[in-house]
Amino acid sequence: MSCRELERLFLDGATPEEARRHASDCATCRSLGADVDAAQGMVAGLVGPSLPASLRNALYEIPRNNVSCEGAERLLPVAMENELSDEEQRRLSNHLSRCAACSEAAATLAAARDLSEPVAPPWLAARLTANRPVREKSFWRLLSTPKAAIALAYAAAVVVMLLGFNPADIARRVSASQLGSNTRAAVNVAESSLTDRIGAIQERVARTVQVWKGRAGGYGRAAFSNAVALIFKSSGSKQRPPERPRNRDGRGAFREKETTITTWRA
Amino acid sequence: MSAEEKALVDRCRTGDDDSWRELIDRFGQKVYSVAYHFTLNREDAEELSQEIFLKTFENLHRYDGSFPLVAWLLSLARNLCIDRYRRKKREKSFRFVSDDAVLPLLKSDDDPAAEALKKERTKLLFWALAEIPEDLAEILVLRDLDGLAYDEIGKALDLPDGTVKSRLFRARAEVARRIRERHERRGASGAFQTVALAAAGVL
Repeated sequence: MSCRELERLFLDGATPEEARRHASDCATCRSLGADVDAAQGMVAGLVGPSLPASLRNALYEIPRNNVSCEGAERLLPVAMENELSDEEQRRLSNHLSRCAACSEAAATLAAARDLSEPVAPPWLAARLTANRPVREKSFWRLLSTPKAAIALAYAAAVVVMLLGFNPADIARRVSASQLGSNTRAAVNVAESSLTDRIGAIQERVARTVQVWKGRAGGYGRAAFSNAVALIFKSSGSKQRPPERPRNRDGRGAFREKETTITTWRA
Repeated sequence: MSAEEKALVDRCRTGDDDSWRELIDRFGQKVYSVAYHFTLNREDAEELSQEIFLKTFENLHRYDGSFPLVAWLLSLARNLCIDRYRRKKREKSFRFVSDDAVLPLLKSDDDPAAEALKKERTKLLFWALAEIPEDLAEILVLRDLDGLAYDEIGKALDLPDGTVKSRLFRARAEVARRIRERHERRGASGAFQTVALAAAGVL
């Protein structure tokens, strides 16, 4: 037979007097109460073991040899740049050897560096070029390109020529004494280059004029002969070719005189 | 109290050495006692204490001051302590408790006979603790050996106060019953009653 009254009184925070009063009337609780009191009494005389001085000092040193998870969070980005001091590196290594979460974070960061570069597919360059947005260049930027500068120089030369002057003469008239040696050399080179290019352009224009003159003559003669042929053709009667004989089903049939079929007989 | 302890923890988080030393001075002894009671071995207790405080240092940012710091420390330490305790039980360290293991727990006594009696009684206590279920034993250790309050034990073990008290009552009864049964098996029933009554201060 079991009685839980003593336990209930204990849980309710009853005084020892109340517990003893119940136990005096209940043999089960009297025995249980004696056991509980005895166990409590066994523990009562014990003292806590004193903290050794060496351990106390070792505990003081914990922050000098380790970092917290928070500290590791601050040190990891610096460690990726190899900018940690030796002491910080040692403390971080101690922590990473113990903490699985921070160790995983560090390994993941490090792994990002070891990833190989993906190979671009062969069509990518062409696609990127095709999709490149058109960049509008400013007028002055266009003028500053080498091609534009050359074109402007030629245009100026043409304007000068149209005004009845020779560009080479104008270049020559510039006072040599006013120019530095480098500038003079550059002017000389430009002058000879311009003279050559103008000569070449004049020659090309003359050749082109001759070509077009020849073509114009050819086209004219062809047009004249075509016109004559048309006039004579329209005056003659039109003759249609004879109708080809047809079978009943409308398909064409061989003419008797056209083809002779040779048959073989045994 | 918890607000003041939270402030201490926050200072420790900023790397303040003096605050960390204060934390060790206030809780080092308590944590070492708990570690010793779960291991009954000085080297193991020192190693376990270092491990507990290292874990504390690494997790300082988790303490929110909602309950006593000692309870939080023990909640961090619980798994470590229980792991050691199970290992010790497997190794039968509690079945054959040495004199050296219990000496740090005894007050020095001028009477050699009384000291010998205390020593035997303490060895018997740890044997009985190893015999009862772990969830009962840990509560008896934290309450009766380490002197923690019910609410501190409840917070440390994540249990309601009523459960803590209930388990404590059952733990005491179980410990006493195991010891009594052992003596009865050995035909020395009178001896335990003498020890028990002496311990309870009846004699």
